[in-house]
Amino acid sequence: MLLCVEGFFALRLYTLSTQQEQIKQDYTDINNITLGLMSVDNWKDKVADIVSHQVKHFKLTPKQKEELQVEVEQVINALINKAEALVNKPQKSLGGKIKQLAIKTFVNTDKIRAQVPEFARSIIAKVDNPKQKAQLSTLAMTKFNEAQHTGSLDSTHKANQSLTDKMYRRYHVSSSDELDHKLSTSLENIRTETYDYCFGMLGCILAVLACWWFLRKRVELHAVLFIMSLSFAFILLAVGLTASMIEVDARIKSLDFVLLGEHIHFQNQVLFYESKSILGVVEVLFKQPAADSLAVGFLILCFSILFPVTKLISTGIHLLSKRKLAENRIIKFFAFQSGKWSMADVIVIAILMTYIGLNGLLDYQLASLNIKSDELTVLTTNNTALQPGYIIFISFVLYGLILSTILKAITPYDAH
Amino acid sequence: MMRTKLPNILLITGLGILLAGAVWFGYQVHISAKAQQEIKQDYSLSNSVTFGLFSVDQWRDRLSEVIDHQINGYSITPEQKKDMQAAVEKELRTLVAKTVAEIDKPQKTLGGKLKKMAFHTLVDSNALQAQVKPFAETIIQKVSSPASQARLKDIAASKIGQLENQTYDHTSEANAKVTNYIYQKYHVSDPIAFNKTVHTRLGVIWRNTIKNACSMLGCVLLALAFWWLMRKTVQLQTTLFVIALLFAGVLLVVGLTSPVIEVDARIQSLKFMLLGEQVIFQNQVLFFQSKSIWDIITTLLSQQKPDAITVGILILLFIVVLPLLRLLAKGIQLFVSNNKVVDYLAFEASKWDMADVMIVGMLMTYIGLNGILKSQLANLNIHNDTLTTNTVNYTSLQPGYFIFVGYVFFELVLSYILKRITPGYVSRRKKK
Repeated sequence: MLLCVEGFFALRLYTLSTQQEQIKQDYTDINNITLGLMSVDNWKDKVADIVSHQVKHFKLTPKQKEELQVEVEQVINALINKAEALVNKPQKSLGGKIKQLAIKTFVNTDKIRAQVPEFARSIIAKVDNPKQKAQLSTLAMTKFNEAQHTGSLDSTHKANQSLTDKMYRRYHVSSSDELDHKLSTSLENIRTETYDYCFGMLGCILAVLACWWFLRKRVELHAVLFIMSLSFAFILLAVGLTASMIEVDARIKSLDFVLLGEHIHFQNQVLFYESKSILGVVEVLFKQPAADSLAVGFLILCFSILFPVTKLISTGIHLLSKRKLAENRIIKFFAFQSGKWSMADVIVIAILMTYIGLNGLLDYQLASLNIKSDELTVLTTNNTALQPGYIIFISFVLYGLILSTILKAITPYDAH
Repeated sequence: MMRTKLPNILLITGLGILLAGAVWFGYQVHISAKAQQEIKQDYSLSNSVTFGLFSVDQWRDRLSEVIDHQINGYSITPEQKKDMQAAVEKELRTLVAKTVAEIDKPQKTLGGKLKKMAFHTLVDSNALQAQVKPFAETIIQKVSSPASQARLKDIAASKIGQLENQTYDHTSEANAKVTNYIYQKYHVSDPIAFNKTVHTRLGVIWRNTIKNACSMLGCVLLALAFWWLMRKTVQLQTTLFVIALLFAGVLLVVGLTSPVIEVDARIQSLKFMLLGEQVIFQNQVLFFQSKSIWDIITTLLSQQKPDAITVGILILLFIVVLPLLRLLAKGIQLFVSNNKVVDYLAFEASKWDMADVMIVGMLMTYIGLNGILKSQLANLNIHNDTLTTNTVNYTSLQPGYFIFVGYVFFELVLSYILKRITPGYVSRRKKK
């Protein structure tokens, strides 16, 4: 009866953990850096703002105006000089001479020269006037919009669009805020539910141990009880191995700066998200090209699958079989001594967790210098967390150790 | 009575000196390992990627340098002159044509008609078009004169300056604070001096750590050798054993509190070409962590999450508390016989004592972490014409790990010896 409940909880836990992984994966996809910081869409609007802002508010400082004025004046003066020289060239034909005379009479070059600064000013004013700028900014915007519709930009845009559309349809929402909200609530629900089942499983295990306590005097029941306890251990092991154990989540907390007068702000850009069960960790290690990683993967596989399974089987054999087999050295090693080695996996994950997940060093250092890190671009892995699979696996290891202690107490043979 | 007392005292003083040596060296290892950790932390703070590659201010400064350089080094080439001339000529021609067309429009007023006539008499529009070329030449010459170019450059540079002022993030203030703090702490005034100081200090500390760690393990080995020589003198065994337990305690404490694994991932250099000039970011620390076993436990315990705390408590229990209790129990067991708890701790609890598992676990973590980091960083290594990045991975096992390994082996030897010198317990078990 208890075993059935346990099995049910285990199954639920497993499905929930897979479901959670799926939702988290979707959540990550939506918040991924390719849809945020690296997304053309997001930048498009910002760059458009920058362009129009820059063109509209293109302003020359008085000093710049002055220098430009000098420049324009000099060009105009040079032109006048040239014209004068042309006019003053000795003319041969009568018509030419008359023309020269007429020009000299009517046109006073000195007067024109005096007007040069005025001309220059009006030219600059023309360049600098708001209407002109507005025109220019519209022109720039049209050019910019044209540039947007080039092939490569469109294709990434389309890919992103289809991804978000798919997500929206899957969760029956229409905006990203809604999706965010929905995903976080369902994640929260799943989390509490998983933990409920997790504690349910642990409760069952405790009930089993309580049984041992009550029945400790009834020697004839011990063998049956022990075999039942072993099947509980198997369920724990199966869940512990397959349910996700650790999730690693690396993100850029915030990216906040002013670019050409335009405030640009991105938050919580997910760089990397993985949720792994022990088997997943082994898989990752096996995929590494280096031989040492392979060795570690193999060791974890040994400690998490081979050792425990052999251990459970050999405890069974030790209890049920004949003396000779029961006192076999190998059987005895696995039955009594191998349990703690499964703890190696627990330790590996725990150390990994403190090194990768609880990476608060920079934040801590900054905080000690009284610097707020909210506005700085900092890599964080604060959302890295241990998952129920880990708790289940630890309970399995401890439960196994307790079982072997019990076995030592009830075994008819020599345990040493 | 005298005969046992004298060698006892001699033995105790001899081993006491060794023990004091081990404690002293252990303390030194601890101090220098901590110093190394702190220096490296400061170094990683000041070289953090947040203040380098991830800082818009840094990018702005580097890019503006390139652009300033470009503007200052700019001069109009003959080819560009030609192109400009062609453009100006074209502009002027259309201007002239437009003006002529304007005047040629049918005029209604008398004044207008007169003007038109005068214009046609005086101005030959073909001749005007012919003049366009020399005028264009004049304009270009004027614009490309050195004085004029200098003026235009000034204008461009000041405009770029304006744009730069509109681009910033929040690193500058934080960066100033950090540098200030670091420079004050290390009595340096510039990054080069800081790097040099850090480098030399780390070198010295590293040599010291190695030396001290070796001396410490040497003391322990010497004590063991001593014991081996004395193995026949039964009456001294108890004293020897107690002192050996103290040695184990020292090893355990130093092993627990000195850093075990150091993880350090950096972008050694990131170079790319922009407008023919090289932009370089150097020594960007992506990630740095150095922790002792004790740090690992406290980090886990200080979390808000119940599961992390559970794990922290378990590790504390199995790797710190239980080994210490077992050492204590082994000592007590020699004097108090037949106490159930003491007996259990001294002989039976090895199943729950996970110091040896911890060694394997840490080694596995180190290798796995190293492998994953290496392959991840290798993905960041790019070598092509425009962009070159070099990443390095300085992940290493630290002295604390080896001292902890020393403790575990020493403890194994002790357990073995204990079983040999206390036949009472074993026979009691047998009788049961």
